Amino acid sequence: MIRYEHVGLRYGIGPEVLEDVNFTLEPGSFHFLSGPSGAGKTSLMSLLYIGRMPTRGLIRMFGQNIGEMNRDQLAALRQRIGVVFQDFRLLNHMSSFDNVALPLRIQGRPEKEIQNNVRELLDWVGLGDHKHALPNTLSGGQQQRVAIARAVITRPRLLLADEPTGNLDDEIGFRLMALFDQLNRMGTTVVIATHNQSIMDKFGHKRLILEKGRLRIEEPPRRGNLRQRLEGVY
Amino acid sequence: MKKLMHQFSSLKNPFYKEKVLGVAKEKRRYDLPLTHSSNNTFLRLLIGLMSVLGVLALSASFALSAMTHRWSEGLDHKISVEIPAADSGGEIIAPGIVKSMTEEAAKMLNTREDVAEATIMEEKDVRELLSPWLGNDMVMDSIPIPGLISVTFDKNANPDLKDLELQLRDVAPRARIDTQENWLNDVVRFTGALQFTAILLGLIIGATTLVAVAGGVRSKLSENKEELELLHLMGASDSYIARQLQRHTLILSLQGGIAGVIAGCILLFIIGMVAGKMGVNLVPDFKLSEIQKAFLVISPIPIALLAMMTARFTVLRVLNKMP
Repeated sequence: MIRYEHVGLRYGIGPEVLEDVNFTLEPGSFHFLSGPSGAGKTSLMSLLYIGRMPTRGLIRMFGQNIGEMNRDQLAALRQRIGVVFQDFRLLNHMSSFDNVALPLRIQGRPEKEIQNNVRELLDWVGLGDHKHALPNTLSGGQQQRVAIARAVITRPRLLLADEPTGNLDDEIGFRLMALFDQLNRMGTTVVIATHNQSIMDKFGHKRLILEKGRLRIEEPPRRGNLRQRLEGVY
Repeated sequence: MKKLMHQFSSLKNPFYKEKVLGVAKEKRRYDLPLTHSSNNTFLRLLIGLMSVLGVLALSASFALSAMTHRWSEGLDHKISVEIPAADSGGEIIAPGIVKSMTEEAAKMLNTREDVAEATIMEEKDVRELLSPWLGNDMVMDSIPIPGLISVTFDKNANPDLKDLELQLRDVAPRARIDTQENWLNDVVRFTGALQFTAILLGLIIGATTLVAVAGGVRSKLSENKEELELLHLMGASDSYIARQLQRHTLILSLQGGIAGVIAGCILLFIIGMVAGKMGVNLVPDFKLSEIQKAFLVISPIPIALLAMMTARFTVLRVLNKMP
């Protein structure tokens, strides 16, 4: 589904922040993206959500070479990707409802469908009573749920989350990861960028480890099944 | 009783109504926070002022065009014949002789088939003509006054003026034909230059407006850079984003343009009134035809459409820098 071949990224005339990155994400897979600060995680994430184009190498997403796509095709491709940003990036002039509805409106879905789907999803993430609230009046956790709802409302084929548990305590962090796990089981390919070792240990998924711009793939350590690992979370 | 008192106090107390904070009160119109932008008023005002100037420039151009047309039309098929009051040696000819030569010339002219009318100018008309140079208190008898004949040809006539002048010299040896062509050409050239200046001014005003609109849109985009980037990353196409700015600019331009045209028309009316009261004849007549009025009334529409296209072009250029 997603294939990176000898991908490199350089800002200006500086050194390469990503060097010869090669990996494949199969449909419905779940990966953690980890590595020390400055290793290039944010840069790789921005390549994944097509916020940047690589300075070298080949990227194929959903069977298409992104280097050969025009602007409209790239926009259509981005619509198939859901992103939860580290700082949520909610639009503060819009209600929670309109924030979540935004990707559907961009896709030009009918208003009736938007109303039903967004209301249902907001109820599901426990924000049914806050649909008219502006994001800056919500708590950090609530904002994060709005951001997640916005990322998943279109049932994206690829879900990217940048440090989604960064500002949360462990319990809420684990709950959030369980939500991503659930979406993954429904067929969404998930990539989570995180530093949180305990979360990576709890959820046994493959790890993309970045170090000094170079990527290696690690299999998860075998430590019991998922049910055992999540005991105490639910 | 308690309930009644509570109701009464709630009616009296203006602060009783609970305020609702942190809730989106307005219906969502744009994905970008355009309605709350600080430069909306600036853009509206700028387009309004430019429209005022545009209306003035356009009206001036219309008025000058009408004036030139009136002059040309008024003098078309008309000439004047002058019977000088002095002979070739500079000697003054007796007024009686001049008068009889003038009458003879008029008589001869009126016999021609191509002449619709040849009338000798009355003394008071000649006095009026000469008054700017000689003053109103001139004594006509003491000044040699030339004879003047105003000639109107038939509309389809194409007279040979050189031949006519030779014929006139049979009755008045120094008769001279003045076609007004020389000075009329100068005036037409001058008003043409003024009209061109007015049109050029209108174009400069239009170009300045478009540059300012582009600047306003650019500043709006940089003000909302993060939101713009977010929409782009969510898969909004360039035209989806541009449409929002286009619609917003169209509304602002129409508001500013309509207000500007109304203000411009009021200003025109005031200028016309003041000029009329002052008796300034040099100010062109600001009476516009129905078509010209209609053109002024609909002028905010092309202004707004141009502003909208400028916004689109500017947004697409900014977006083109994103991957």
